[in-house]
Amino acid sequence: MITSAWICLLSPLGASALITLAGTRISRRAAGYLATLSVLVSFVVALITFFRLVDQPAEERSHVSTLWTWLTAGDLDVGLSILVDPLSVFMMLVVSGVGFLIVAYSIGYMDGDDEERRYFAYMALFVFSMLLLVQSGDLLILLAGWGLVGLCSYLLIGYHQERPQAIAAAKKAFIMNALGDATMALALFLLIQRLGTLEYGAVFEGIDGVGGWAITLVALGLLGGAVAKSAQIPLHTWLPDAMEGPTPVSALIHAATMVTAGVYMLVRLSPIFEQAPRIQDLAAGLGAITLLVAGVVALVQTDIKRVIAYSTMSQIGYMFLGAGLTTYPNAMFHLMTHAFFKALLFLGAGIVIHSLVAEQDIRRMGGLARVLPKTYTAMIVGALALAGIPPLSGFFSKDALLAAALDAGAYGVLLWVVGLIGTFLTALYAFRMIFIVFGGDPSPFVREHLHRPGHTIPALWMAWTVGALTVLSVIGGWIQFSPFWHPLTDFLEPVAVPGIEPSGVEEVVTSVLAVALGIAGIAVAWWIYSARRAEVPRWELGQRVLEHKLYFDELYDAVFYRPAVWLATATSRFVEGPLIAGSIRELTEGTRLLATRLSDVQTGLLRTYALALGGGAAILTLVFLVVRA
Amino acid sequence: MNGPDVSWYLTLSSFLFAVGALGVLIRRNPLIVLLSLEIMLNSANLALIGFARHLGDTGGQIFALAVMAVAASEVVVGLGLVVALNRSRVPLDVDRLSTLRG
Repeated sequence: MITSAWICLLSPLGASALITLAGTRISRRAAGYLATLSVLVSFVVALITFFRLVDQPAEERSHVSTLWTWLTAGDLDVGLSILVDPLSVFMMLVVSGVGFLIVAYSIGYMDGDDEERRYFAYMALFVFSMLLLVQSGDLLILLAGWGLVGLCSYLLIGYHQERPQAIAAAKKAFIMNALGDATMALALFLLIQRLGTLEYGAVFEGIDGVGGWAITLVALGLLGGAVAKSAQIPLHTWLPDAMEGPTPVSALIHAATMVTAGVYMLVRLSPIFEQAPRIQDLAAGLGAITLLVAGVVALVQTDIKRVIAYSTMSQIGYMFLGAGLTTYPNAMFHLMTHAFFKALLFLGAGIVIHSLVAEQDIRRMGGLARVLPKTYTAMIVGALALAGIPPLSGFFSKDALLAAALDAGAYGVLLWVVGLIGTFLTALYAFRMIFIVFGGDPSPFVREHLHRPGHTIPALWMAWTVGALTVLSVIGGWIQFSPFWHPLTDFLEPVAVPGIEPSGVEEVVTSVLAVALGIAGIAVAWWIYSARRAEVPRWELGQRVLEHKLYFDELYDAVFYRPAVWLATATSRFVEGPLIAGSIRELTEGTRLLATRLSDVQTGLLRTYALALGGGAAILTLVFLVVRA
Repeated sequence: MNGPDVSWYLTLSSFLFAVGALGVLIRRNPLIVLLSLEIMLNSANLALIGFARHLGDTGGQIFALAVMAVAASEVVVGLGLVVALNRSRVPLDVDRLSTLRG
């Protein structure tokens, strides 16, 4: 079981190294097949690990394996160790499973691109980094994985390196994430100082003794990392820009796996966060604000990928809400179903973009239902799952999560209301997109530019992976229907015990309300965007505010960017120029002047030297004589 | 002990040293400069031997022998230089050999 976990981790790394080293000796498509195969191997061995783990009694399902001591500093030893327990195996399955489908889809999507090998090397490296993150048995390895996925995200957002916006977006994502990495590192330093170790087991045992402000700071630092990685307010502005990357990258990194790492961390480190309940409430509150704000902003976006990106932020907001309110299994459950239907939506959007010669503006699309009927079906399934309509997967996870919120006191009820409003918004923006893109008659742009995917090999790779995700989006939620059937909660029980348990009545009330609001959202979207019985409401100010994404970018520009640039310019002009460069210039000139003057002493005449020697000796003799006397 | 007192030797030695030093400083022909240097070295030898005799210590005499050996090798180098200068038609004038001026 330990061996299979290691194979799962290292197989994509091997593929990445192989593709990089092989260079042009393998064909572009071979690189794609190699990357896909390596992730498939990961998935298969993750399944093996899962079944071996299930065979064991529940309380023995936690295994740490250390390869070697990775780092020693004073009393601190950090081993290169992985942890195999229900939570990490669950994440391994999600990452490698969804990862496999998306990398396989890339074979079709990236076909004919100039630098496919680089793309697949990065993708395989990303899967490795993500697996390292979820399998780590130590907080420092977690941070290493955390940094590596950030690096892969940077590399893949900036994959189209000839496009300045892509480079800018990549830098933005990296810098925002570096901020989170820094707060996490500070939290880890504090933990090292207090506990002298970073191993999960030892940290969780000793965490009771930390107490006071230290534990709050640790939790706050860790939350900072989670918020940056999962694009929650206030560190969310990088995610919409990250859509500059290729669509499968958006699906894998910026929807299904990497951005949910924050949720994984909240659950994995729940013993730490439970010592700081205020920080947990803060996490839940941030999630609630994000789900609302992102849901509203998604209503006015015109780029098909940005609509889905805001939807991702919003759904991760739900997960933060759940994880903050300690209903961990439901947060993880929603993470999984979200990975399915959001990957489906992105990959479906990828097919749309592909068939419209890279057009992403939904205002120029329309009537695609007739020309791309299968993609239409897939997107409908994804949007319905997103809106939480039974019996699709989103219904089971989102409703269970919201019902649990109802059990968490007055604060929980407040968040529950926010979540329900979010359900309405979710359905509204999802079906706004569906109706604009697929409804009605084909627009002039579509008629002119449509390039129907044929039955070529690349098209088939794209088709079957989207089909598989469609099936998963339908049945993925059936593994758990609380309160009747909850194997996932039982499976995750040894790692994260939920702090709240909703009653049957709460479940029913929540489900009925959520489904009703979802259907209402779809109906409103249909009323406005499909039947066109009502004008799209126009409210000049509100629209402008939303189109500027609530001015977050402008705010950060004014608060951080401009002062930093001003400070740099000022120090360059007033300190660097006159003081540092000036002093160096003066020093060189002074030295040169001194040397010119001194060189006059060297006449080149023997007698002056001899006289100086003799005269000096004579003077010295006299001095000695006088002193002696 | 026969012969004049040590002060006579020292006076002669000082006189010779001054003559040599003056020669080094004011003559321009390198050959004469070398000769003057030899006079200075030998004045020092005279002082050494004078003291050796005065103190009854042979160390001074041995030291004078060492100075002679050094002086011989120094003259070899110096005369070699003078010959080399003359061969390359450089004027034998120390005042005009000032290429190393700063």
